[in-house]
Amino acid sequence: MRFYILPLAALAIPLVANPYTQFMVNLMLVYVLVAVGFNLVLGNLGQLAFANTALFGIGAYSAAMLMAHAGWPFWLVIVPAGLAGAAAGFLASVTALRGIRVYYLAIVTLAFGELLRWSYIHGERATGGTDGLAVPNSHFFGIALDSETARFYVFLLIVTVLVKAVSNLLQSKIGRAIVAIRDNELATASLAIPTGRYIVLAFTLSGFVVGIAGSLFAVLIGRVIPESFGLIELILHFAMVLVGGLGSLLGSVLGAVALTALPEFFRRFPGLYEMFFGGLLIVFLLVQPRGLSALAARWWQPLRDRYYREH
Amino acid sequence: MFALQLALSGLAQGAIYALVALSMCVVYRATTVVNFGHGDLVMAGAFVVYVLVVLAGLPFLASAVLAVALLFLLGVLIEIGLIERIKAGPHIGFALMCIGFGYVLRGIARGVWGREVLPMPTVFDFPPVIAGDLVVTADALIIFAAVGVLLALFFVLFYRSSAGRVMQAVCQSERGAALVGINVRAFHGVMWGAGAALGAVGGVLIAPLTLLHPGLGASFLIKGFAAMTLGGFGSLGGAVAGGLLLGLAEQWVGGYVSTKLIDVTAYLVIILVLALRPNGLFGRAVAERV
Repeated sequence: MRFYILPLAALAIPLVANPYTQFMVNLMLVYVLVAVGFNLVLGNLGQLAFANTALFGIGAYSAAMLMAHAGWPFWLVIVPAGLAGAAAGFLASVTALRGIRVYYLAIVTLAFGELLRWSYIHGERATGGTDGLAVPNSHFFGIALDSETARFYVFLLIVTVLVKAVSNLLQSKIGRAIVAIRDNELATASLAIPTGRYIVLAFTLSGFVVGIAGSLFAVLIGRVIPESFGLIELILHFAMVLVGGLGSLLGSVLGAVALTALPEFFRRFPGLYEMFFGGLLIVFLLVQPRGLSALAARWWQPLRDRYYREH
Repeated sequence: MFALQLALSGLAQGAIYALVALSMCVVYRATTVVNFGHGDLVMAGAFVVYVLVVLAGLPFLASAVLAVALLFLLGVLIEIGLIERIKAGPHIGFALMCIGFGYVLRGIARGVWGREVLPMPTVFDFPPVIAGDLVVTADALIIFAAVGVLLALFFVLFYRSSAGRVMQAVCQSERGAALVGINVRAFHGVMWGAGAALGAVGGVLIAPLTLLHPGLGASFLIKGFAAMTLGGFGSLGGAVAGGLLLGLAEQWVGGYVSTKLIDVTAYLVIILVLALRPNGLFGRAVAERV
């Protein structure tokens, strides 16, 4: 029950928010999903990966293409966007079955992500090339998504359901296997757990969550362009998971909420954005490697993460 | 003839990739850290040369030496100030740290130079060498010469000198090396510096030939990885061969298929090699000890 306190409290946000702050809150919801999904791989599985912006992008592009070219409504494209993300997550990590691990796997995901971004730019007919693709107005089971408030309630519902699903997943056999692989793959394999398959599964599930985040992003921004899913975006995803706390579900939510609004500040000063987020990574690694969630737990015990063991 | 002409420019480009890949390999072999910020060190080398030549008005050679020295220092500082400090943490921390400082370097470059793309004035104003139908630019010759000399020097140092034997000892077993009195910590710092300096040489050589922009680092990183995977991850000679092969492959794909595909070649090389021959083209499967 404790889980629902936060989303229920959030229901009141539209009462006090103006359209701009409401937009920012909606964007935070999108990034909560991005961080929660990425954290599955980066924090829980403990595998470095660079494909997250690509998964985010493929979700956004498949949603935008289905809505713009095929005329599907938003509610119908959510699952396909997730499946597209899952397929990309599967492809990015499938070499794990061949025994590719750690750095090698990270490099494959880097190449795969850049390959996808290249295809957005050069697949003009489907993706609109560098100009991007406009997303038409749509609805969620009849609720028109034409105001920030309407989008907020729909997003809140989707995000709550998915974060709860991830939370359940982490407590299931699959989730425990994923965390066990991070802590000691050899020991996990000795328990007859097929670690390669679980690594691919973690990437696929992460892709599903991040792909759906992409579909929300497409509807929120109204246009998908290749630039939104490049290296500038990637550092933001890394920072959210690390600042929140590697492997902590609560941390991913905190990290997303804390950092979503910041890029706006840096827009006018080229370079400051990269310096800030790069510096943030360095500072947290040196000073608070367990992230904000560990700070929060120190301050209030019940927030302590039950799935993360101190090494 | 066309194929040969493409091969020449491919080898010149490949020589730079070889240098970048070798410098990444040095850090990896010596410290087992894969430096995901290495591309940005290469980019930083190129930018420092640009600043010294264009803004400070120094001659190219002096600026090149200064840039390489500066990057050596930066490499040592990164090792001591950032990498050494998180030694106790999980391995993923190293990678995130490298990503972090890479972005900081990129941000500094973008902050100082803004969004524009910078052309560097031509440095070597020699006429190209023409042999029959083949045209060899002076730039390509200089790159061949510089990279060749550097590689020869490096391999002699690594495999023949007593300092090189110390390096090999630490690469093989840190604890064993420490037991016979080698200062492993200092060694790690020096190797980071050497890696950064070698990478910077690549940046310095490429600076007069290409347009400079802060995003250069990311593409160097991927090409360096592609070269390393081609040659078998962690093999020094393999990294050099892989770099040359990648340069050739890029030019041939660009010349015969489509220039659009030049950038994709490296991505495909990484994915295909790791999926089909994880130990690289020349590598043998290593039995894993459990």
